[in-house]
Amino acid sequence: MKDLIEYIAKSLVEHPEEVSVQEFRRGDRVTFELRVAKEDMGRVIGKGGRVANAIRALLRVAAEREGMHVTLDVIEP
Amino acid sequence: MEKRATLEVIAPTVEEAVNQGLSELGLPPDAVEIEVLDSGARGLFGLGGRQVRVRLTVKGGEAESAGESPAAPEGVVSEAGEVSAEADDALLRLAEQTVAELLDRMKIRARLETRYGEADDDGRRPVLVDIHGDDLGVLIGRRAEILNALQYIVNLIVGKKAESWVQIVIDVEGYRMRRDRQLRQMARRMAEQAVRTGRRQVLEPMAANERRIIHLELRDHPQVLTQSIGEEPARKVTIVPK
Repeated sequence: MKDLIEYIAKSLVEHPEEVSVQEFRRGDRVTFELRVAKEDMGRVIGKGGRVANAIRALLRVAAEREGMHVTLDVIEP
Repeated sequence: MEKRATLEVIAPTVEEAVNQGLSELGLPPDAVEIEVLDSGARGLFGLGGRQVRVRLTVKGGEAESAGESPAAPEGVVSEAGEVSAEADDALLRLAEQTVAELLDRMKIRARLETRYGEADDDGRRPVLVDIHGDDLGVLIGRRAEILNALQYIVNLIVGKKAESWVQIVIDVEGYRMRRDRQLRQMARRMAEQAVRTGRRQVLEPMAANERRIIHLELRDHPQVLTQSIGEEPARKVTIVPK
């Protein structure tokens, strides 16, 4: 799941070297915090959150295969 | 047998991927060139791990296998039957690879088939990526939510890398084709109802690409007009008698 977020984020931003993903697991819940360069925020969130929501949708498929519930937060730098 | 020149297969092991690809193509091992695109890796926590990805390319001409038709394809054979150099087309490869990279990280086993679709009114051809495999319902989701998310992300990634206009349409086991037909039929039926009752018909909320199918289907209808109302994601088509 982490590699999925990293792959998408790095493919969309201008500064892939500043992409970082942190993972927090608690039971069957996992939360990911995605950080990107300030000027790349719009590229991973999108208009009305469309990009972030699409990433969340794909992430859910990966999570279900591991029996997990997943949350993705994009963190303001 | 349906002719195609390259095939990408994702499976847990190289052997499985190759066997799956060969049986799909109906060819013996010596009729194809095998390229391991991704040899896989163990996942974090020993969970899953990355699957291997293999590309089979049908050898042209000289390596004909017994029992195969004499006209072995040299490039991808388009629907019109002409041989083109699409197998080497950079954009097709980029689109296919992007879908493969995503599916791999979503732990989905699938086979991809990539080609150009028919040109639109401006002569631009969309790239079509068909995903084949078992139990791929998870990839479609409710109201194609997952499939549309995948298509959206792939378009963004490929658009950025290709730095040019590109439209990629992703389908899973012919889902979009079936849905397309279903929507057209529904459009006709609801138009009929609008005419018969003289009342405006409101369809269920749909994504933009689906609303477009309804609008196009009824564009030349002599007795009704179509219009979209409401805000995304609850935007819906209405069919109004003229």
